[in-house]
Amino acid sequence: MLSNYLQLILFVLLAGLAIGSAVAMVAQRNPLYSAISLVGVFIALAGLYVTLAAPFIAAVQVIVYAGAIMVLVIFVIMLLNVEEEERRPLRLRFLIPTAILLAGALFAEAAFVLYFVNEAPQPLNPTVAGEASVVGLTASVGQGLFTTYLLPFEITSILLLMAIVGAMTLARRAAVRPTDIVIPGSQVLTMHTVDPRAAGDATPVISDTTDEAARVMNINERMRTRDGE
Amino acid sequence: MVPQLSWYLALSAILFTIGVAGVLVKRNAIAMFMCIELMLNAVNLTFVAFSSFFRDVTGQLFVFIVMTVAAAEAAVGLGIIITVFRNRESLDVDDASVLKL
Repeated sequence: MLSNYLQLILFVLLAGLAIGSAVAMVAQRNPLYSAISLVGVFIALAGLYVTLAAPFIAAVQVIVYAGAIMVLVIFVIMLLNVEEEERRPLRLRFLIPTAILLAGALFAEAAFVLYFVNEAPQPLNPTVAGEASVVGLTASVGQGLFTTYLLPFEITSILLLMAIVGAMTLARRAAVRPTDIVIPGSQVLTMHTVDPRAAGDATPVISDTTDEAARVMNINERMRTRDGE
Repeated sequence: MVPQLSWYLALSAILFTIGVAGVLVKRNAIAMFMCIELMLNAVNLTFVAFSSFFRDVTGQLFVFIVMTVAAAEAAVGLGIIITVFRNRESLDVDDASVLKL
């Protein structure tokens, strides 16, 4: 058991690091710096979990959040070559005071609850409740996960499968690009399939019928000869 | 003086509030996404704090599931962001305020 002073100092340090990093994240205009600040928040929270005697969750926090999710975010930021947010005039100018007002209301509600609910917590069920040092260990977390909460655990795996399929579907290039010309009722024909000289012609043509679309694309003759008439 | 439960709850409230303000103020899709992650983490902190002070492991199991949901959200959300960027050449959410292309 850590001494009381050490606990206090750790809490103040880690809480300060978390709040400072969070404020820095919102204040930064460059998304990459925001991401690095967010990693600071995650590390500070992992330290707080350790002081709360939850080493398993702390390790998972570092591995999953600071490791996997933030690497994914930074990967996307670099893939898209995002630059600093440009200071364009806001379309909805009243959003900023509204945001500050709503955040203040939320914070006031939380402070109200914390001020009036100030009892020292007791273990819910003293016969079941274990020692504080045992509760957060991997063994007890795993036991809870595979006995009482087996169904949520399995549902979680289905959720991950859905996320994989969804992400692949989203990131895949669509078969029809917005610049392609589609003849209704026919197969998909891009302009340069029909005419190699028109590779640069990317104007979409809207047509209501197959005949009209074929006439606009000037492919009636070609199709007939291709059919070997 | 040992840290009390209410200290952790206050810290969590502060972090959540910063996340809410960030989502409302930011216009960059990736920055908004990261603010949502911050809010999820603030809630995780309350779960772990309650779990530790009540000496019940259930809260930490909830954190585990919340993290899974966050990972799924990251995969799908970033996929959506990439698709939006590909179609509009911009990450500003104001440019994507209309679903129609």
